[in-house]
Amino acid sequence: MQIVVTGAVNALVLSSMYILVALGFALLLSIAGILNFAHGAIYMVGGYICYQFAVGFGLNLWLSLLVSVLIVGLLGLLLEKFCFRAFFGDMVNSIIMSVALIIILETTVNVTVGVYIRSIPQFASGIIRSGAISISAERIVTLIIGGILLLLFTLFIKKAKIGLEMLAISQDPVGAVLQGINIHSICALAFFMGCGLAAVAGCLMGAVFGLSPFMGDFILVKAIQLVILGGIGSTFGILVAGLIIGSIDATLPLFVTGAVTDVVGFGVIVVLLLLRPQGLFGRREP
Amino acid sequence: MLLEVSGLTKFFGGVGAVWDFDLHVNEGEIAGLIGPNGAGKTTLFNLISGYVRPNKGRIMFDGNDITGKKPHSIAKIGLGRTFQLTPLLSEFTVLQNVVASFYLHPRLSLWAAYFNTGTYRRNERYILDQSIEILHLVGLEKVRDEFAKNLPQGYQKMLCMARALAIKPKLLLLDEPAGGMNPDEIDFTMATIKKIRQQGITILLVEHNMQVLDICESVRVMNFGKKIAEGSVEEVRQNKEVIKAYFGSEHVA
Amino acid sequence: MNKANRKFSMWKGKTPTKAVIYVGLIIILFVLPLVTRSPYYLHILILTFIYIIATSSLRTIAISGQLSLGHAGFMSIGAYVSAVLAKELGWTPWLTIPLGGLATAAVAVLIGYPFSRLRLIYFSMVSLFFGVAILAVNATLSDYTGGAVGLIAIPPLFASSKLPYYYFCFVLLLLSLLALRRFEVCRIGMTVKTVAQSHWVASSVGIDESNYRVLALAVGCFFVGIAGAVYAHYNLVLSPNGFNLLASINLVIYMFVGGMGSFFGPLIGTATLIIIPELFRGIKEFVPYIYSGIMLIVIFLMPQGIASLLGQVKFWVANVRERKTVRHAS
Repeated sequence: MQIVVTGAVNALVLSSMYILVALGFALLLSIAGILNFAHGAIYMVGGYICYQFAVGFGLNLWLSLLVSVLIVGLLGLLLEKFCFRAFFGDMVNSIIMSVALIIILETTVNVTVGVYIRSIPQFASGIIRSGAISISAERIVTLIIGGILLLLFTLFIKKAKIGLEMLAISQDPVGAVLQGINIHSICALAFFMGCGLAAVAGCLMGAVFGLSPFMGDFILVKAIQLVILGGIGSTFGILVAGLIIGSIDATLPLFVTGAVTDVVGFGVIVVLLLLRPQGLFGRREP
Repeated sequence: MLLEVSGLTKFFGGVGAVWDFDLHVNEGEIAGLIGPNGAGKTTLFNLISGYVRPNKGRIMFDGNDITGKKPHSIAKIGLGRTFQLTPLLSEFTVLQNVVASFYLHPRLSLWAAYFNTGTYRRNERYILDQSIEILHLVGLEKVRDEFAKNLPQGYQKMLCMARALAIKPKLLLLDEPAGGMNPDEIDFTMATIKKIRQQGITILLVEHNMQVLDICESVRVMNFGKKIAEGSVEEVRQNKEVIKAYFGSEHVA
Repeated sequence: MNKANRKFSMWKGKTPTKAVIYVGLIIILFVLPLVTRSPYYLHILILTFIYIIATSSLRTIAISGQLSLGHAGFMSIGAYVSAVLAKELGWTPWLTIPLGGLATAAVAVLIGYPFSRLRLIYFSMVSLFFGVAILAVNATLSDYTGGAVGLIAIPPLFASSKLPYYYFCFVLLLLSLLALRRFEVCRIGMTVKTVAQSHWVASSVGIDESNYRVLALAVGCFFVGIAGAVYAHYNLVLSPNGFNLLASINLVIYMFVGGMGSFFGPLIGTATLIIIPELFRGIKEFVPYIYSGIMLIVIFLMPQGIASLLGQVKFWVANVRERKTVRHAS
């Protein structure tokens, strides 16, 4: 029973973190039409900024998280204006731009802070016990924060006026402009939100699993897995895909080696894409 | 009969695009198919040329059952077509468009092509000559080094026709060959179609424009996926159903 | 139909100037090792040659309308197959390198048919995952491949350290470029490009598209497999990190920075992004900034790639010449 609970908690933790990052990535893809491979690096930067404020400046851990989100969000705005605005819709050059960004961000972090893994202090320590079952408090907290953010995000997209405008742009940019929607400010907001979500995930994961200048590479692949498996343009798809991939990553390593887990994870996606190229819930015609 | 279509039916979802359609085209004739917008003419073409699979019915071409076959196999046995939306090889010039279309005849041997054998070189010279002749036929020889994407609409239609001729078709399906043309261009197109027929190629054309009908020997009229009339041009012009379809019932005398 | 008619239309635009440049470059590169004995420069050039083969083969696949984001994964197939065959079975690298290429091409054919049904962006995504999945498979076969730790003690191609490798890779590069160029220029390449440009046109003239897509994929994968195998027997050590997603993306970037429109784009891009950062070796930690700096310069100033810029220069030069003659005439 313990194993089941631990497995479930881990699966949800991984799922929610993957989904947070994937949503940011998908947001930029759908709204600005760019493939921002640097999203993983941004997630990493979020974690490091939180560390700097919490450990370096001694700020309260939760405040550091908030500060990190704000700073990274601001960074997102700058990126939108100076780096990506020229390449909206241009997948080729936005890929190159984002890889250049990865290199710059990772190198800077690497050179200043060093490669040795540090860890953000735990957001919640201790073990929660209930009967014969014990769960790490930290993971529960991570899970809860992730869940709340996802809920807020989904509500925002579905209900808030700006959220609907985002949806409109992702489906038909030209039509949206004709409707009077201001694409530039919406895109800026998309960057802010996307990067902010990634920062949260970076901080939380940085506490649970530790920091590394290259932790973004791993999460980038996960984000892409989620977006492709779930289907481009579908929030629900990303949620479902996140649960699937998160569950696989959390539970399979108990039975087989990590490498086989990866093979299964990628194999599932490749096979699915061959049968259904638009992903599980993707919008575009095959 | 070169082309025989019987009982052809196609549904898209719940909508019947083509209903129990019968059609036959005799060798050597210029056959027409007309109908108002949305009648299902292009769908019928797509069914015949293999881009869409029919739900029911049979298509016989030149003695072969081609129902449900893939487009490239159908092209192989001599059924060529043009498209309403004039897809182009936009990175290529006009001449290259036609040269690239000479895929089927003469047959390409990968080995010979890669190693530039004598046979391959001879074939390529032949293809080049033939392509230039085709361009002369459709009136595009002056723009042959122009990039296809720079051509005006009327020229693009002729380029589509030129490409279809490259496969040495027995039957040529022309989807709105006069679309977007001014009267002079339409006259030229009609003359070109007649010249193509003189080379022994049977033509089935779909047209919106009544003027083009004059060169057709037989006409079928389609509306809402069904055949509503058939006969010579004169007969069809007088047909009450046809007039109702095009102009509304008030005009039926 | 007279010859002049034909000649004008199909003339591919070869000029004496181009021939001089090509021959000149070849001579320079041939003579280089005799001028500079520094093993370091030779090493950089050897890597450049290998990666130019890899990037050019990527372009061969790209002209069929399939942008592969997993090309480094294919490279690793050639590398590991050749290395393992040579190490475990004791076969000579001269045999295992071509086998590595063939193995990579075989994999390409195997997955190529289902993949060929996918449209552009979907193919890219599937190829991305395939490239990463190959590494995962590599890790599971770690008994043979050494897994994440890597493979060491690979039998070398040549006994001595740099010079024979240099000439070997240089000649291999020339042959590969010739082979790929011929593929593109002959009717096979024309048919591949036709398939890439329009599904409607290709099928209506009788072309079976999937055959040609797979052919392009197989040819491209064969050459990148060879490149990987040569790398294995030169470097003598293999690590899966050298073939990960970032490596695949790098190949794509080399191609785009050079310019996808031109056959020599990959060559220019690869050479630029490998050689120029090396010139700044002195500030080792900051070399990545140089690398990304070059990328930024290219995407902001010449979004079609460096090769397009050279094309514009050529155009400008030709224009200037024409203006001069006009002035003389009047």
